Amino acid sequence: MTSLALKKVTKSFGAVDVIRGVDLDIAAGEFVVFVGPSGCGKSTLLRMIAGLEPITSGDLAVGGARMNEVAAARRGVAMVFQSYALYPHMNVYKNMSFGLETAKMPKPEIDTRVRKAADILQITHLLDRKPKQLSGGQRQRVAIGRAIVRDPKIFLFDEPLSNLDAELRVQTRVEIAKLHADIGATMIYVTHDQVEAMTLADRIVVLRAGVIEQHGSPLDIYNKPVNRFVAGFIGSPKMNFLSVAVAASQDDSVVLNLAGKQLTLPQPVPVGQGAPLTLGVRPEHIVAEGAGGVSPDGVSLGTFTVMHVERLGGQTIAYGNLDDRQTLTVALDGQRSIAAGDKLSVSIPAERCHLFGEDERRIGG
Amino acid sequence: MTEATMTAAIARSEKEVSERSPLARAFIYAALVAVSFVMLYPLLWMIASSFKPDDEIFTSTSLLPHAFSADAYRRGWNGLSVGFGQMFFNSLVVCILVVIGNLISCSMAAYAFTRLRFRGRGFWFALMLGTLMMPQHAVLIPQYVLFLKLGWVNTIMPLVVPKFLAIDAFFVFLMVQFFRGIPRELDEAAVMDGCGPLRIFLKVILPLSTPVLATAAVFSFIWTWDDFFAPLIYLNDIEKYTAQLGLRTFVDATAQSDWSALFAMSTLTVLPVFILFVLFQRLLIEGIATTGMKR
Amino acid sequence: MASMGDTSPDVGRFARLQDQLAGYGFLAPWLIGFFVLTLGPAVASFYLSLTDYSGLNAPHWVGAENYLRIATDDDRFWTAMNVTFTFVLLSVPLKLLFALGVAVALNKGLKGLSLFRAIFYLPSLVGGSVAIAVLWRQVFSGDGLLNQALNMLFGYEGPSWISNPSTSIYTLVLLAVWQFGSSMIIFLAGLRQIPKDMYEAASLDGASPARQFFKITLPLLTPVIFFNAVIITIDAFKAFTSAFIISDGTGGPIDSTLFYTLYLYQEAFTNFRFGYASALAWVLVVIIAFFTAMSFLSARYWVHYDD
Repeated sequence: MTSLALKKVTKSFGAVDVIRGVDLDIAAGEFVVFVGPSGCGKSTLLRMIAGLEPITSGDLAVGGARMNEVAAARRGVAMVFQSYALYPHMNVYKNMSFGLETAKMPKPEIDTRVRKAADILQITHLLDRKPKQLSGGQRQRVAIGRAIVRDPKIFLFDEPLSNLDAELRVQTRVEIAKLHADIGATMIYVTHDQVEAMTLADRIVVLRAGVIEQHGSPLDIYNKPVNRFVAGFIGSPKMNFLSVAVAASQDDSVVLNLAGKQLTLPQPVPVGQGAPLTLGVRPEHIVAEGAGGVSPDGVSLGTFTVMHVERLGGQTIAYGNLDDRQTLTVALDGQRSIAAGDKLSVSIPAERCHLFGEDERRIGG
Repeated sequence: MTEATMTAAIARSEKEVSERSPLARAFIYAALVAVSFVMLYPLLWMIASSFKPDDEIFTSTSLLPHAFSADAYRRGWNGLSVGFGQMFFNSLVVCILVVIGNLISCSMAAYAFTRLRFRGRGFWFALMLGTLMMPQHAVLIPQYVLFLKLGWVNTIMPLVVPKFLAIDAFFVFLMVQFFRGIPRELDEAAVMDGCGPLRIFLKVILPLSTPVLATAAVFSFIWTWDDFFAPLIYLNDIEKYTAQLGLRTFVDATAQSDWSALFAMSTLTVLPVFILFVLFQRLLIEGIATTGMKR
Repeated sequence: MASMGDTSPDVGRFARLQDQLAGYGFLAPWLIGFFVLTLGPAVASFYLSLTDYSGLNAPHWVGAENYLRIATDDDRFWTAMNVTFTFVLLSVPLKLLFALGVAVALNKGLKGLSLFRAIFYLPSLVGGSVAIAVLWRQVFSGDGLLNQALNMLFGYEGPSWISNPSTSIYTLVLLAVWQFGSSMIIFLAGLRQIPKDMYEAASLDGASPARQFFKITLPLLTPVIFFNAVIITIDAFKAFTSAFIISDGTGGPIDSTLFYTLYLYQEAFTNFRFGYASALAWVLVVIIAFFTAMSFLSARYWVHYDD
């Protein structure tokens, strides 16, 4: 188990800055997930840690030792690639042993390690096969096995589930979590799938345009996104963003204008009357009256006209408008008897409201 | 019926409509067979004639000799002061060395061009592409003078050594095309496995490139075997001749008086190419097709 | 740094010393070859073309004299030009047409495609050899195979095509066209790349097969036609072995098969006029470069590229 530290790390491809000053400390044994939209630099950052991309400036330390110039294989890291990158001409055993042979490890030791890893991953019966003869899930295991045999201090995963079908993806996700629990190594995992991020991570790092927007535990990020981008990126269905204006700003509360009505939130805002703000409400936190829900102490959002309904069985998702035509998505538990054209009165508990200023940053705690 | 199968069915029926009539098909077949026949006839006739007595060659267009005799092969094989066996051996030596040289040097250059990061790579690559187009005549005479000064004229060195210096840009290009198709993540996996450039080249790239290496090897062999110009310039002593030079000398020596022997030796010099063609037809055709397609 | 073929834009900027060493290490054989066997000789050859070098004496500077003589006082040069251009202008279009026609016919989903493809390809694999030139010499001689066949079929007594100066060049053109196979294979590969649904869409629009050929096949095939045309033209300028064998190295009868390369060979290695032959070589290079450049310039008007 080893810690990892990034200090003011940057990366430029020619004139393009891909990573623009990343500071991050990862504790030993932690499972950290990098998420962000494509092009945010999450894979590049992972590859810089791996040693596949040179670091333009800043420091990378593994277990306290600076690693910027150290060859990839000597950093004590192992990587699982998106395409698995199994050597097509080598069988499974050889795929796993190749790195150890390169390191000139004695044969018996190699054999012990390969068989142990194969045992953990239950691929012992596949050792003689070539990658071509394996299913996607089996290839995935071999790719992980190739990482395990090297007994790395840090595991790096680059979107490892993106080539699997939905069912296998869930299954493998659980297995990776179990693997982390079993061997306790530090793991860094890149994905654009926020469900993977939420389910796997001890800590999520949200990246945008080469900058860390926020890092913290999955629930921290869900509950207290620091800005509108993070709020919109984490959570499904996506958070609703409603344009509101400050009607009155008091010491311990604020009155907002929304769709011709006023609502009061018990939190101060640092802006005066008339200032435009964004109110963020997660679809699953909205309560709809007239559809079986009750909202004893929620703040009313007004009347919601349903345009379209998606029935997922366990959840009913309604898409529609408020009175001022602002779109709203509402996710209700269970199976509700609502249909397009229905008008519902919707509200939300005050503590579930997120306010974002004009600079898109979160206001309040 | 799903939408996909319906589209497929529509496409199929449309295709049937657009297919040509049986008559047109038959006509195309007949034309192709006729062209094949005319094209192949001289070759087959050459082989047949090598088993005929001389007078029959000039009186019969038949592919079947009236009087079958393999004696022409004996006369031809020993028809020169140095036997054809020696010349075939010389050709074989040159061809094998050229194949080895081309495989090593061209794959190294292609690896550098596709996989290694170094200053000036694009510049050298552009120059390499330039040499693809350049006719060898521009450099012929100074090369000859150079080899003369090195004392290499009348040895096989001028035929072989340049191939160890990746002089056949065509093969570099062929391999560049192939290497580009090998996923870069494999190199990166190898880097993570502790491999340097040399080990990646030997353990990952080359083992995955057997198709293109085989293609290059077969083409190298055939073109070197058929080459006439370089041996003509560089080899003087008959005991050093390649089979092509030997055959040409045989043309002069017989003064075309012993055509069956000449055809026998011609057949023999074409035979290795023919065998390689039969064995590696697919590789050769794919090799030609890919270089034509992806420039 | 702008450079073609680079996939990572940071080449050069962050490349470390070991990357440079590895790159140049692997490129070393090619680099040595390029400087010692290509660039050096090219420069030397240009220098020699301005001298009277014979291979024995030290070269004497003669300035542009060789080039002047080529232009004004060398009948055989003009003969060679005439022969070579006749050969190029006849063999290149014929070969292209044949290759394209057969490829289109083969691409119709006929059975036996691979057999026909193999038969048509074989000649281009063996065609450059001495044996085939020897065969050609017999086939087109006075009592050769062709005349026997003509006599048998039509009772026609043909002349000796090879030893008749007015027909000998055509036997060489025929030999070149006979080797259309490799171009045909490139055409076949090109035809395969044309998406099937284009034809399906065209049939739905009611386009006849002929219209489909001229409106879809031909335009989409122009990059391949261009590629083949350039390759075949350069090859045609470089043709040597067939003319050498058929004419016993003389280019005869009466210089009617005196290919440029053959003339160059005679000047260099029979007459040992290295300086003069170098000048001839450079003239050939310029001619080929001119043709290639013209093709590339013309390409933008008739070659259809997707991107």
